[in-house]
Parts: sequence; structure tokens; C-alpha cells
Amino acid sequence: MPDFDVLVLGGGPAGVNAALAASAAGLKVALFDENPAAGGQVYRAPISSAMPPTGDLLPGDALRHELDQSAVTTYFNHVVWAVTADYRVDAAGPAGPVHCSGRALIVATGTTERVVPFDGWTTPGVIGLAAATILLKSQGILPGRSTLVAGCGPLLAAVAAKIIEGGGKVEAIADIAGLGDWGRTMPAMVSRPDLMREGFHWVREIWSAGVPMLSRQTLVKVEQAHDGLHATLAPCDAAGRPIAGKQRSVVADCIAVGHGLTPSSEITRLLRAEHRYSRQAGGWIAVADQDGRTSRPRLYVAGDGAGIAGAAAAGHHGTLAGLACAIDLGTHLGTHLGTDLGTDAAQLRSRVQAARQAHAKAARFGRSMAQLMALRPGHTDSIEPQTIVCRCEDVTRAEIDAACDAGAHDMNQLKAWTRCGMGPCQGRTCGDVAAELLAARVHGGLREPAGCLSARTPLRPMTVEALTGNFSYDDIPIPMAAPL
Amino acid sequence: MNQAMTTAFDVAVIGGGVMGCTTALFLARAGMRVAVVERDSLCRGASGVNAGTLTLHMTRAALVPYAIRAWDMWMNTDAWLGQSVLATAAPGLSLAFTEHEKTLLQQRAAARRGYGAQIDLLDRDASLALEPGLNPAVLQAAYCATDGFASAYLTGRAYHAALREAGVHIFEQTPATRIDRVAGMYRVTGPADAIHIDATRLVMAGGVWLEPLLAMLDIDIPVKTLVNQLIVTERMPPVMQSVLSIANGLLSMKQFANGSVLIGGGWQGVGDRVRGGVETVPDNLIGNLRLAQHVIPALAQARVARIWLGLEAETADAMPMIGALPGLPDAWVIGCVHSGYTSGPYMGKLLAQAMLGEEPELPLFDPARLMVPVEALAQPH
Amino acid sequence: MLNDETMRIDNSNRATTIRFFFDGQPASARVGESVAAALFASGTKSLRASPREHSPRGMFCLMGSCQECLVMVDARRVLACRTPVADGMRVETVPEAGINA
Repeated sequence: MPDFDVLVLGGGPAGVNAALAASAAGLKVALFDENPAAGGQVYRAPISSAMPPTGDLLPGDALRHELDQSAVTTYFNHVVWAVTADYRVDAAGPAGPVHCSGRALIVATGTTERVVPFDGWTTPGVIGLAAATILLKSQGILPGRSTLVAGCGPLLAAVAAKIIEGGGKVEAIADIAGLGDWGRTMPAMVSRPDLMREGFHWVREIWSAGVPMLSRQTLVKVEQAHDGLHATLAPCDAAGRPIAGKQRSVVADCIAVGHGLTPSSEITRLLRAEHRYSRQAGGWIAVADQDGRTSRPRLYVAGDGAGIAGAAAAGHHGTLAGLACAIDLGTHLGTHLGTDLGTDAAQLRSRVQAARQAHAKAARFGRSMAQLMALRPGHTDSIEPQTIVCRCEDVTRAEIDAACDAGAHDMNQLKAWTRCGMGPCQGRTCGDVAAELLAARVHGGLREPAGCLSARTPLRPMTVEALTGNFSYDDIPIPMAAPL
Repeated sequence: MNQAMTTAFDVAVIGGGVMGCTTALFLARAGMRVAVVERDSLCRGASGVNAGTLTLHMTRAALVPYAIRAWDMWMNTDAWLGQSVLATAAPGLSLAFTEHEKTLLQQRAAARRGYGAQIDLLDRDASLALEPGLNPAVLQAAYCATDGFASAYLTGRAYHAALREAGVHIFEQTPATRIDRVAGMYRVTGPADAIHIDATRLVMAGGVWLEPLLAMLDIDIPVKTLVNQLIVTERMPPVMQSVLSIANGLLSMKQFANGSVLIGGGWQGVGDRVRGGVETVPDNLIGNLRLAQHVIPALAQARVARIWLGLEAETADAMPMIGALPGLPDAWVIGCVHSGYTSGPYMGKLLAQAMLGEEPELPLFDPARLMVPVEALAQPH
Repeated sequence: MLNDETMRIDNSNRATTIRFFFDGQPASARVGESVAAALFASGTKSLRASPREHSPRGMFCLMGSCQECLVMVDARRVLACRTPVADGMRVETVPEAGINA
């Protein structure tokens, strides 16, 4: 007898809305998240009420409040390290190991940030744009006395504006994109006048602070010096590759860099759902219908982890997944769901229609932002041979190229031949870039034959004692001894 | 890949693991035109994902003579393979924590000594002197000076280079779908009939897939698929210096030069030869880790980086099948060796010897015995 | 707005300051801050060394993914970005790994 009807993994806007929708439809729901509270990345809760409120605080608080008021069982501060095919989830929390089972699973695990390596990117003081966002929004800390903001996507302006609002200095913003790239997002931006206004507000703040906003500029090198980090910027083409032209040097205390987001598909790949590669969506994503149903029964995906479409779309997508789960479980269990408010089948279906419309509208904006964040074909061409690609194992581009030339055709073979992806990050930081390098060198740029690193448990490194608990030798269930 | 190979090969080896690749290598160096037909990438099956333990403690007693000779090959890959798999010599300790385990330990040591292994018994103090990080609750240890380990994941790259240099044609991503006799040759067909490989001789080296592969030749030999769990930690400071195991054979442990600790022991996961390793059984993961932590308490603080499953082949009597296939001309089989990685290269070399018409140094293992009903088999010992 | 002495964005000094130690050196933090953020703000950006090149590494993703901010707290390996600072906490760099350690 499963402990819950549905387990939701991820407490951002998608996961919370999925849990709320499923719960409102009468299902028994549990939600897991490794953070202390709901909100995910975009609505991350500040650690202290003494911090100045940001624009994301109100929707984040509303989300957290609604969750508190609901019947959803929450497991915050829990790191999920295993999920089995019959939807048993194992997690480690402050009070020790926890496991529970569900009839269905909704995966809403969001994204990780992609950084295309450059010389010196592993230098302490170089952090991700998402990391800078967490420092500013959640911890109330400036990334540095002065910060260089570089890379691509909407996070550049968001981070720069927040630094300025917090009283810090931004040395420059170096965007790989050109103004034309931004111009192409205007039609979609118009569909969200509120977000467009916010974006213009950021630009105004940045301009008023006298911060140089550089287009078609890329970071090529960072070095630690006595007076801070010395960054070299070069003009670049549309793919982010440096081209001939005057390079400029910037000195800053911190460098916040990011080249887009990649959906976290570890869990759905672990469960062997069908996946496809979509550059536009950010990488490998589970094949799913518009409501988030994957190729495996009663397994759903929602939010940016299912393909980048932004925070607003994530919320509606979560609602769709929660409702789809309620409809499917009703069918699966052969039971007629209760007649509580919003739970009879016809009501469910009309809520689905409403959520689909809202989702489509919100996704339009989100997908245009995703376009700015997608990995540009050719961007990885510019990684120098001696530059580290796999941070955990210090594997350079040259070693990856040599393995490809020696016959490694896919990511798992590349991993065995170079150790790229064998470290504690389990390929989350390097996997997308390494696959892009392999695909370019061996498969004419096609990502499908390159594949991905096999997803494995534990989903995050776990200490042995967190897994073994208290035991004595006699407790160990010894199977039959090996043959003599 | 839309090709019919117009020139026939002298031998087609189906299965690109350690045994198939070593056989192929020695045949190619003896002048044969060799093709290796592999369903995935070389050494991506058991050969690439096993614990890499080169120990006589875990090898079946009757296979000790083979394992001793294979140890030499692993330690000297420069001489015959060309690339290192980081084979490291280390003492091997098998441990007993209960009276029953002491008895097992003595039995197993005696059986292996009978086949030429140099294994001595150590008391508690001597064990702790050799391995200070051991749980002081240890009662006794069996000690073998000439054990060791290798990094199995390096195997594929090493064989790839060696086979190419020897002129072997490597067909990866090519599972065999059919084997026919055509004009006195064996014709191996790949998926969607997109490729045909003709050869005078056939070596079946397909690991856990030997059962369906042999069925293509109308030979019925059941092969059990074991789904072995492996656990590796992050890099740590030194916590052990020997290859560790337990008397009941259910733990293997070693720490590599880079500091990571690899834990095995044959605990089972969920999987089969069709789907591969699917997922870990939580109780088996916890049991395996508890054994490891009991033996080396400092491991409590290690972070587990990755858990995976490898498929190991086992015959009805848990002994190998290596030799000529009965009823077929020039068809051979090699595989299903417990601790197959340990003995693998030597087994492959032996088969190549036999196929070249030489008298193999050590006896082979007649596959015919496995084609008879199970009750008629001799008892294993 | 900006507290001149630290990197904190604070519109008052309501948040309580707590003290902790990194490799024996005193450091300060506000309640709720992660070890990684607090150290970064105090100028301690290097937390450990990379495995082969032994180059300095510090926090990078701040969300528990990259594993770069691994430190020791009470002899336990933890991610600094996932560990809230506690008053009096003793944080150490992870010991050197591998055969030459």
C-alpha cells in the first residue's frame, strides 16, 4: 500500500502548483525539496525579514502560504538520492533517512546553470549568475565590492540591477547577444507587459549607474591578481566565439557568469522515460504531452525541468501535471474522485482547459527568453585546449578531444576514457558542454548520437553513514555466501 | 554502416569484452584477419564496469592457477597490451569477524592453497599491524601478498588502441542478430541486415548474452545473469592499503591512488540481460555499505559518489566455458568466469593458443558438459 | 543600504551577528547565512584544491549541484552552500585525498 497517491519532487513554482492541484483534487500528496522552504530558484525565500524585499518576494510568499494552508505533506531540507521504478523515493533529511512510496510521481526539479568554460573559470571568485542571484535575493549579500556580469540571457540584467539596488558596483555587463537578438524577443515580451516593464526598469537602473552595457562581448580569460580578478573581454560573433578586435581588460572583485540554463532530467532518465534533445528547450528533456505525461505510466514532468519556459509558465505547467495526475489516478484506481470543490471529473477537465490557456500565454514569453539562453552551436569551439572542462576531475578540452579522436563515440565512453563526469557533480556542471564538444568532433554537431551520461543513484553524493544508519554486524542481511 | 564485407575474415569474435578482445589480439598477432563484433562499445559490459579486483581470495579455487598467470599479464600490460589499466599490486586480506567466518576463512584458504595460492592466516594483531584502519573486532585474516586491483573503466580504451594497431576490424554498436552457414563460412548479420561479416572461424565471447547468441547456433546452454552492485566513493585521504574482502565472499574493497574507494561483493540489483542493470535494491545497497563500514570504520564519513550495476555471467556449475563448440567446425566459446576480469586476459590467450593448434598451457573448460541436463553434472568443489 | 564594513545589503542592523571559525581563523556571519556565502562575503573565496592540478577552488553554483564548496564541519563532509552557519561552528578544509596525502 503506497504511502501517498503522488510524490512531487521539487518545491519551485511548478512543483508547488502541481502539489496544490493534486491535493485540491482529493489526492494524498507529499512534496520533497532540499531547500528549507518552497520557492525554488526564482522565488527563493530570503533568510531574514531584515532584508529589503525584492519583486519576487510577494509571489514567493503567496506560494509558500498557499502550501502551508494545504493538506500537502512537505519534506523540506530533504535531499532525494534515489527513486525506483515503482516510485519509491529515498531521501536524507535532518532527522535521518526517509523513504516513501507513491502511486504516481511528478518531477519538477528545475534547471542547473550552464557555463561554457573559458581560461580561468575555475578561479575562486568566479561564480554563476544563478549563484549571484541566490547571494542577492536569499542571503542579502553582494557578490563583491565590484562585479563583472557576463554571459547571456535575461539573468544578466536582473543580476546587475539587483547589485546596483543593493548599493554595489557593476564594472560592466558583457553580453554575447547583440541588440538584434534582444530585438527579436520583443513580440513575445509584449505578451507580458509586467515583465517587460521590469526589464526596462532594470535597464534604466543600469544605465543611470553608468555601467557599460557591452553587446557581442565574451569572457576569454580570468586571472587572479593582487588587486582582484583580471578579466579579458573580446568581441565575439553570434555564436559567442571570439573574433579579431580590441580586447578589453576589466578588474573586479567578483565575476558572475552564466550561459543559460539546462533542464535537470536526471530523475526521468534514471526512470528510463523517453527523452529527446531540444536546443531551444535547454537540452535533453523527457518526451511529454502538453500536460506533462511522460512515456512512463503515472510519471509527469513540469516546469523548466521539462523544457525552459519561465517561472510563470512553470506554475501553470505544474497545475496541469497535478490535474493530469488526478485524472489518471482516478482512471487507474477505478475510483470516482470525491465531490469536493473542484474535484469532480468535469470540473477537473475545465480546470485543465483554463490552465492550458494560461500556460500557453505565459510560455510565449518564457520561450523567447529561453532562446537567448540556448547553447549556440559553435560556442564551445572557442574553448582552449588547456582549459578545464570537467572541474571535478580536472579534465581539459585537449583530453576530451584526444579521447574523441581515439574512438570515443558517446558520453559514457568519453567518461570511461577521460574520467569526465566521474566526479561528485556527476556531470551536472560539465555534461552539456562535454557532449557538445563530442558531438561537434565526432557527429557533425548532432547531439542525439552523443547521448548523455547515464543517470545513476545516488542523485547527490551521500555519506556512507547517512545511508547505513545505526547498526550492528548481526543486523546486516547477508545473502548466500559466494561459491568456493 | 551499409556494408557487406566482401573480403572474408579468418575469425569473427562476437563480443568485445576482455576475453573476446584478448583472443582477437593474440590471433591477429599470429597473422589472422580478425573482426570483433560488439553490440555496444568495447569493454562496456562487465569488463568495463567491474570492481577490478585482482585477488586470489575471491577467485574460485579451481581458477587460481589461471588468476595467478593473469595477474602477471595485468601487471605487465606494457608488454602485450600497450596501455596501462593502472594495475596495482597490493596485499589482499580476507577477514573473519565471527567464529563461523573463521571456519569459512580457513576452508577457503586451504582450497586455494591446494591450487597454488600462497595464503597465510594472520591473527588479530598481525591483521591490524598490516591494516591499521581495520575494525579492531576482526578475529582473523587470510593474507595473500600478491593480490591487487586495476581500474576496469580504462580497459576499453586500452584494448581499442591495441586491437586497431594489430589490424583488427572493430565493429561497435553492432549486435549480432543472426549467424548462418554460407558457403562453408560463418555469416554474422547485424541489425536491419545492414551488415554481414563472413569468417572461417567463430568465437562466441558475448558474456551474459551467450545464451541467446549460442541459440543462434542451435546450441542450448543456460547462462544466468547476475546483476552485481558497485559503489564508489569520492576521493578521500588514505583509509586502507590492501585489497579487502570478507570470508563469506560478499565484500570487496580497495582504495585507488586517487583516493576513491570502490566497494563490491556481488550484492544484487534489479536487471536482466535485455534491459541491463535497472536499479539498486535499497536493502542490498545498505547491506553492502554496512559491511564496508564495519570493516573500515573511517568509511562512515566517505561520500558515495556513484552506484551502478554490472552484469556477470554464470553457468549451471559456476565454472567457465572455454573451448570448441561441439558439432560445429571451427566454432569456439569463451566466457562465464567468476571473477572473469581477474583471469580474463589469460583465458583469452589460452583460447587463442588452442585455436592456433597449440597445446594450451592449462586445461580449457569443455562447454559440452553444460549442454547436458543439470542433474548429470559433477558436484562443484 | 550597503553596510560599509561587510558585503551585506541591510536596511537596518536587525540581523544577529554570529561568529564561527574557518581553519581556526575567526569569521562572522548573520543568522541564516550559509557557510559558503558568509566566507565569500568576508573575502575567503578559496575553500579547497582541485584533485589533479591542486588549483584553488571555491563556491561556484551555490545551489548544491557543483560540489565545489565541500568543507568539513564536525569531521563531516558537507557542502558549505547547504550548511547554515551556527554560532561557534568550526569549519575546516577537507583533508588532502589520494595516495600522496
